[in-house]
Amino acid sequence: MLELMRKLSQAVISGEVETAAQLTEQLLAQGASPQEIIDNGLLPGMDYVGAQFRKGEMFIPEVLLSARTMQTAMDVLKPRLVTGNVPCQGTVVIGTVQGDLHDIGKNLVRMMLEAAGFSVIDLGIDVPAEKFLEAVKTHRPHILGLSALLTTTMRNMAAVIDTLREAGIRQAVKVMVGGAPVTAEFARSIGADGYAPNAVAAVDLARSLIAS
Amino acid sequence: MQNGWRGGQYHPLTEDALLSIHEGGLRLLEEVGIEVNNDRARDILARAGAHVQTGSRVVRIPRRLVEEAIRSAPKSVTLYGRDDRYHLVLEENRVYLGTGGTAVNVLDLDGVRRPSTLDDVHLLGRLVHAMPNVHFYMLPVYPHDLPPEDVDVNRFYAGLSSTPKHVTGGVYTVKGVRETIRMAQIMAGGAEELRRRPIISFVILAISPLRIDDLYGEMLLEIASAGVPVIVPTEPQCGSTAPVTLAGNLALFCAETLAQLTLVQLVNPGSPVICGYVGTVTDPRTMGYLAGAVEMGLLNAAAAQLAQYWRIPFYATAGMTDAKVPDAQCGYESALTTLLVAMAGANYIHDTAGLLDFALTMSYEKVVIDNEINGMVLRALQGVTVDPEHLALDLIGEVGPGGNFLAQAHTVRHLRREFYLPKLSDRQPYEDWVRAGAKDTRQRANELAREILAAPPVRVVPEEIERELKKHLPNLRVDRRTS
Repeated sequence: MLELMRKLSQAVISGEVETAAQLTEQLLAQGASPQEIIDNGLLPGMDYVGAQFRKGEMFIPEVLLSARTMQTAMDVLKPRLVTGNVPCQGTVVIGTVQGDLHDIGKNLVRMMLEAAGFSVIDLGIDVPAEKFLEAVKTHRPHILGLSALLTTTMRNMAAVIDTLREAGIRQAVKVMVGGAPVTAEFARSIGADGYAPNAVAAVDLARSLIAS
Repeated sequence: MQNGWRGGQYHPLTEDALLSIHEGGLRLLEEVGIEVNNDRARDILARAGAHVQTGSRVVRIPRRLVEEAIRSAPKSVTLYGRDDRYHLVLEENRVYLGTGGTAVNVLDLDGVRRPSTLDDVHLLGRLVHAMPNVHFYMLPVYPHDLPPEDVDVNRFYAGLSSTPKHVTGGVYTVKGVRETIRMAQIMAGGAEELRRRPIISFVILAISPLRIDDLYGEMLLEIASAGVPVIVPTEPQCGSTAPVTLAGNLALFCAETLAQLTLVQLVNPGSPVICGYVGTVTDPRTMGYLAGAVEMGLLNAAAAQLAQYWRIPFYATAGMTDAKVPDAQCGYESALTTLLVAMAGANYIHDTAGLLDFALTMSYEKVVIDNEINGMVLRALQGVTVDPEHLALDLIGEVGPGGNFLAQAHTVRHLRREFYLPKLSDRQPYEDWVRAGAKDTRQRANELAREILAAPPVRVVPEEIERELKKHLPNLRVDRRTS
């Protein structure tokens, strides 16, 4: 079983979608629990990918493929997961702010968060502040993630934070921001809880925000 | 200046490869189609015989429409300066090099990186005017100090009033396009005069993969109807908005630029249109745009080759860097791409002076440095002249074994044409260089730029024309220093 787990990690690293699905089925057949498969097979693979990406030795398209591979394996596991046994690192609501139609970066962050075991509600693009507020009230996420690609729309991130504050629930959620024109300084100036420069760092940030 | 320099020494594609890419582009338009988000533009294409899927904005364009457009578009387009020396004949493999835009920052002569202003458009224009190897002025920066509705006409006027070289630029609003055309018509002496001798041109991009934006489409129709030269480039980026493979990127380029060419020719057959390419590869660590990658040079060279096959004037990109300051990376990235693209024979090569930092920042020092690079590139294009005079066999016989050529009349006669004479490069012996202050390239470029900008500005637009313009365009701003 150890060997199969190792092979599953390797399949995630190499982005071998079919192989990962097959190995996951095999492991289940051999009696491994979904949690064991995630902890000993899938997550070690994604952790390696994340580490390699940080070193600049694995690249975004490869990371995306690994994330998709992990997602496929998770889809095999889902029917076997009993409610309550859903391994969830945390819940995240994510979206691109009002007036902005860019989503590649946001989608990458979503995939990486899901691959890392987070439950992600993606509100899409051009999301008004009220819709973010509604989603925070409905889903009670640990984290709210805001994305923008334009200098003209990143101002709307401040509007979202203000809307949360006016509704009296700013403290109920951690807000993290990202996107090409966004900087750590900007994040601080609008009162966000954190900023990440890329999708892998976003996962690290999400983990640390939940831990704190 | 009229004749330009001839490129074409470097053609990276074999004939088969070129035809495959071209065919690929045509097939993409026929089978996949292009999403045309502007209703009028879509209608024009549909009425000409393109197929619009019901309930969709995707237009599939049959190749006969494209081929007809390639036939009707002018093979040669002349862009005019306000002085005969600065006219540019865009055709075949004639090469011209100029600035590009639009950056949002400048790196000024005090080493400060700051948001750009309208004054930077004036100052950079004056600097470019003094650079012999920068042949046209593409508006390089965005004036953050202006309200959006005043940007277009004032950017163009700032360019036109700071140098008599031809001015090109991107535009932001339909109203801005109209005002700018109106201004240029007044300056040229009428709408027909502007059509005959265009002193401005515009750039309107398609959006990869396979999209024409609504607003951009509207501006394209406006410009085409007025018969002002329009450049219709596209910017597919390997790995993000285009296949990671260069050939796939080029097939997209063909489809996208030719779709725009077709639209322009349907609106106004025979009106001047310049195909273009601003594509590149992405940084696989971020999937972000790269301005200095060698692949950008290679892609532009291949794109130039395709445009020569179509016999359509061509706008290309080169001479930039992803370095944040004018350092060694800045030098090698800029030089390599400019050399590759010039040798490919691209006609109207923009971005070749001043841009660094992923094209986000315009550096005054780099304008001076790039002028030097451009000079060396143009010398490379000039090639080796071979004829009895240049072979100089008789002369070699006269000088004889062991002699020298220092004081020969032949040497004096040909020296200035055979040698590129640098203005910026340092060629002093070590001790002299130390005694002169041990300055590196950036420092010397800084001094040269300061010297040029310290000179009193010359009035480029006659006062009476400027007065006339201010009557028709109340939001026009003028450079107080020339008043």
